[in-house]
Amino acid sequence: MLKVEHLTKVYPNGVVALDDVSFTVSEKEFLAIIGLSGSGKSTLLRCINRLVEPTSGKIEWYGKNIVGMNSGELRKIRRQIGMIFQQFNLVKRASVLTNVLSGRLGYVSPRISLPGIWPKEEKERAARALHRMGLDDKAKSRADTLSGGQQQRVGIARALMQEPKLILADEPVASLDPVLAHSILRHLEELNRDEGITIMCSLHFLDLVHRYANRVLALKDGRILFDGPPRDIDHARFKEIYGEEAEDVRATFVDAPSQ
Amino acid sequence: MTSDKADSDPHSPVLAAVGSALIPGLGQFFVGRWTRGWGILVAVAASAGLVSWYGEQPLWYVVPAIIWIWGVWDASTEVDGAPRPLLIPVIAVLAMFYGIGWQVTKIELSTLTKNIDRASAILGPMIRPDFVGPRQEFQQAFVTIEVPCSANPPPGERSDDGLSLVASAGCGSAGDELVVSGSSFWPGASAELWWEDTIGERQHLLSGGRIVVVEPDAQGTFSSTIIIPQMRSGTGQEANLDQPLPERFLVIQARPLGGWEFTENGMRVLNGIFETLSLALVATTLSLIAAIPLGFLAARNLMDRTQGGMAIYFVVRTVLNFVRSIEPLIIAIVFVVVVGLGPFAGMLAIMVHSVAALAKLYSEVVESVEPGPIEAVQATGASWSEVVRYGVVPQVIPAFTAFTLYRWDINVRSSIIIGFVGGGGIGVWLFQWIILADYRAVGAAFVAIALVVIVLDHASSRLRERII
Repeated sequence: MLKVEHLTKVYPNGVVALDDVSFTVSEKEFLAIIGLSGSGKSTLLRCINRLVEPTSGKIEWYGKNIVGMNSGELRKIRRQIGMIFQQFNLVKRASVLTNVLSGRLGYVSPRISLPGIWPKEEKERAARALHRMGLDDKAKSRADTLSGGQQQRVGIARALMQEPKLILADEPVASLDPVLAHSILRHLEELNRDEGITIMCSLHFLDLVHRYANRVLALKDGRILFDGPPRDIDHARFKEIYGEEAEDVRATFVDAPSQ
Repeated sequence: MTSDKADSDPHSPVLAAVGSALIPGLGQFFVGRWTRGWGILVAVAASAGLVSWYGEQPLWYVVPAIIWIWGVWDASTEVDGAPRPLLIPVIAVLAMFYGIGWQVTKIELSTLTKNIDRASAILGPMIRPDFVGPRQEFQQAFVTIEVPCSANPPPGERSDDGLSLVASAGCGSAGDELVVSGSSFWPGASAELWWEDTIGERQHLLSGGRIVVVEPDAQGTFSSTIIIPQMRSGTGQEANLDQPLPERFLVIQARPLGGWEFTENGMRVLNGIFETLSLALVATTLSLIAAIPLGFLAARNLMDRTQGGMAIYFVVRTVLNFVRSIEPLIIAIVFVVVVGLGPFAGMLAIMVHSVAALAKLYSEVVESVEPGPIEAVQATGASWSEVVRYGVVPQVIPAFTAFTLYRWDINVRSSIIIGFVGGGGIGVWLFQWIILADYRAVGAAFVAIALVVIVLDHASSRLRERII
């Protein structure tokens, strides 16, 4: 469904975030992206829906090149690709319901969205999404009154409103404690398994990668260092990805990968 | 050649010093410190120029001299290494600016105390504001006196509504004495004596420079000797002082009714304050409506996606900065000419300035919003206007409200002053009263303005605290 070819991103300050990255993603994959901070994970995810404008290369979505697409076409692609974020990126002062409904903006006409008078069917759709995330009683609450885990579930509900074929998850659990991290990832796993939604998820902890992903893309300095199933990341690969000092970190925070 | 120079430079402090002594900064050029060299040259030339141009005190020539000499010292030593700190020339230049600034400001502290009695003449009435007074009722009566006498003068007596006035003669010339008596007036309530000419101009009758006030006795009668004032003067037909014309001797009596009421000027103050507040409210509301879209267009984080957007951003920014730099008072002068005197002109002026000021503040609020929610809304496939509506607006509403309240507060203050150029509101009256030296009315206006400003300041800051 997604084919990335020779993707390169150079920021105006000269930083090369992605350097000739190529890979393909098939439907129903749960793809984890790992790498150190600054290795290009966020930039890669943001290039796919062009929140970040690629410098060169090709991103094909069902055969259509997203790079260079005009904004009308781009919006039609974007609405098929949900996105969740490390900082949840909810509008804090708005209600949970409004936040979830905003996931529908790619579908409804401005006559509905700008006055903010949403039809019943959209509200029901939002209620279903919230129900699925176990947040039935929170619809009227202000988003910033929710806990971190609840906010991230609102973020997923917002993405669900898009009826997405793909969800881009940018460090979705990095701001949450381990228990909540599993809860959020289980939700993504469920969507992947039951709805067949493809997941591209950047993660820091290898144990989470092993537990949830069926494929790993490892980035270092904007290049793909590894692309394969999680079990193939052995000790040497690990050091290659995270650097020599990383061993201590892994011993403390990460279950040793099966070798 | 160049290598020779490079070799010789570090060892020629004397040469550098001589250079700097000839032309300020030359020594610094010599060792390649161009900025410093130009700085010294410009500082010496500018300070010398300033002293010679404003030249009240040739003593200030000491400043360019100090900088020049310092430059020589600097040039002779800095070839060895580190440059000298700039403290001495900076202090010299600052001392000159403050000294000449003091002269330009024409500060004469002695005048503060010399004419202190003038202050009491103004402050005395001001601490007795002409705002409320005892409730009073009035009655008046007049008798016609012909000035000067013709062959057939009027009778010199008149009764009206029971009040009667009798003059010792029905005619006379300016400067003549008349004995006037009245009956059936309110006993014990003081009455003012006036003279009214044939076209209705009135003036108080004076005796020894003081306004004549009579107090009828228990029967309501009084008697007083007055001098016919010279009312007609100047040029034209009225200047014909020999032409007999009917003028009037007039008695106006007031008595308290009990209780208090707003005086005439007090009512004007109230009306003026109300007009000022309305003007500020309308101006703020209208400017808010115009400033919101401009605020978004002048926000870089929303406009930098496309080149067209950036072009709009720069145009809007430039226009806003330009308009904002013009005082509302100046804009009011223009509008007074265009739409005429009155609150409309003042409202327009304040509105124009507020649009620019508010749009600037709004754009800064928009620029400081969290980018995260905007990114999230964009990712759903939303259009630009939807991103603004769902990602930006909820974030900026509190700050927008706070800034608007603050602007309203400012606008009330400036709409007070806008009346000075004819822009309506309390300022119009205040300006007139200052010119007419009616300091009791000025005092009333000051008190009312102070109250309004204090209340508003407090209210708007409390509201803002609650919102943010």
